[in-house]
Amino acid sequence: MAKRGKKINLLKKTSRKYLISAVVLLLISLVPLYFVTQHFIREETDDSLKSTLYRIEKLLDEGQQVNSIHPIIEISQTRLPGVLALKDTLIHDPLEGEMERFRQLSAYKRTNGNTYRISVRILLVESEDIVLAVLTTFLSIILAIFLAQYYFTRQHAKTIWSPFFENLRRIKAFSLKSEKKIDLIETDVLEFSELNNELRTLTEKVALDYKNLKQFTEDVSHEIQNPLAIMQATIGTIIDDNAVNDQQFELLTELQQNVQRLARLNKKLVLLAKIENQQFASSGTLNMVEVLQQSIEDHQEMGSVSITMETAKPIEIHMDPTLARILTDNLLSNAVKYTPEDGQILVTATNTSFTVSNTGDQPIAAPEKLYNRFYREDNTKKSLGLGLAIVKKICDSHGLKIQYAFKAQYHQFSVYFPQH
Amino acid sequence: MKLLIAEDEVALQESIIKFLKREGFVCEAASNYDEALYKVSLYDYDVVVLDINLISGSGLDVLKALKKEGKKSGVIIISANNSLDDKLEGLDLGADDYITKPFHLTELNARIKAVLRRGKYGGDVCLVHNEITVNTEYRQAYVNDRTMPLTRKEYDLLVYFMVNKNRVLSKEVIAEHLWGDHIDLADNFDFIYVHINNLRKKLTTVAADYIKTVYGIGYRFTDG
Repeated sequence: MAKRGKKINLLKKTSRKYLISAVVLLLISLVPLYFVTQHFIREETDDSLKSTLYRIEKLLDEGQQVNSIHPIIEISQTRLPGVLALKDTLIHDPLEGEMERFRQLSAYKRTNGNTYRISVRILLVESEDIVLAVLTTFLSIILAIFLAQYYFTRQHAKTIWSPFFENLRRIKAFSLKSEKKIDLIETDVLEFSELNNELRTLTEKVALDYKNLKQFTEDVSHEIQNPLAIMQATIGTIIDDNAVNDQQFELLTELQQNVQRLARLNKKLVLLAKIENQQFASSGTLNMVEVLQQSIEDHQEMGSVSITMETAKPIEIHMDPTLARILTDNLLSNAVKYTPEDGQILVTATNTSFTVSNTGDQPIAAPEKLYNRFYREDNTKKSLGLGLAIVKKICDSHGLKIQYAFKAQYHQFSVYFPQH
Repeated sequence: MKLLIAEDEVALQESIIKFLKREGFVCEAASNYDEALYKVSLYDYDVVVLDINLISGSGLDVLKALKKEGKKSGVIIISANNSLDDKLEGLDLGADDYITKPFHLTELNARIKAVLRRGKYGGDVCLVHNEITVNTEYRQAYVNDRTMPLTRKEYDLLVYFMVNKNRVLSKEVIAEHLWGDHIDLADNFDFIYVHINNLRKKLTTVAADYIKTVYGIGYRFTDG
């Protein structure tokens, strides 16, 4: 099942993943780096302290006078010898004027009858500065490498994926209606090449099915007219012979009605197919208000329901005149069919839309099915159930939007024109 | 008046001829493309009823040949295909009218007579029935030379009745004729009664009740 939600572009997704993992790795590697560096520096410091201590001891052995240098070297005579100790300590540093952390090595030395306490120290701030410097250098170098690699990978990915994106664009532009085969660019990537082959096979198969289906529909709709015409003419001849009685005439009329119904059904299905195949070229503009008025006039002559139209400014739109008329006719006849005897139909128009409203008792039960073929809200009506499907199809093929609403006991169908 | 019916569906062709003969037309038949082509080049017809999809050829080619030879026949195209392109092409080639299958014979009859009435085929633009005269050029009806005001639909209805004199017309057939392509939008054809009754009243007041109800649900225009 496809994941819903926001879609992210492939290149962004790969590079984002790469960046995130790079940052995580970098942060994790900083921890051991910090400890290792610190450990080495500490060891170095301790070695340095030991060597200073050794030098001082050697000087004392030679009987030389060694002076203290506060706070890094302190030598004092003592009576109680202690043990060698290495530790961190806080001592006032007169140079800085504040308490500083020092590494301190204390030892006791007996020489020439005297016992000395020797403390040598090294300022720790320096070593921490070194750790920091090492870490920063490491971080910047690695970051620079990562960024460079990120950039190059992205460029590289773009090149590798470019045939894929180009083909995707061509697939999007592919239409079953145009009889052209899909044209995909070849690459040396095996998977892309396989994808192309599969797509070609698939589209060819679909195109063939589509063509067959279309041919079948056209044949059926065309060939059905001849038998219907014969039936219609035969019924006409029988009636014309004046040799039928009342009951037979009624039956024949009934037959005639059904022949017409079949013919109309056929005509409407063909119309739907034609709109779908975009066989109507919208040549020039027309005034929608005028079309509405003509349609209203015809419907008024057909029924008893009152239809009123508010006068409106002309609406110029780009549309095939036949289709425009079919659109208004279907909306109006739908309104006429579902208006109660004492009801009324209102047609209003603005600059960007028109609305056909008719009185009704309750909102439509299943508005989502309204535009389905052969869906009838009320089966008692003698409707083919194709009117609104045709309306929807015309709207879709011309970028018009149709909306149903039930407001203040009125069913309202509004058609919105595209905004330029 | 001599007509050629070029139609490859023989059953349909026979029905058409039988119907038109009762109108007093002389009818000849052509059942395929070659026969149609042969007959139009050999004889002169007042009207040729031409099916587009003839066996072994297109009716449109017959039409082209007809026009090329400078024949004065009126042409009505019959098509099984309700395609606007065919219609436009036919009319462009010089056809006078276009009718889609299935059609009512009374409708074809009305179309043939309308073609004949047009000046260029030497027909009379006026229809006459006793005291009623209809000038189809001005779309005006007269009773004893006095204008009879009619609505658009009443006028069309009267003409349809007059060209299909003595024929039984059901309300479906009438509705189909008056509203043509838009009729399929109607839920039922009861609204036809209003128009028929109005016309009937007007005719009865100034002339006679020529429109008779037959079989309870049909109509016939007769002498009374």
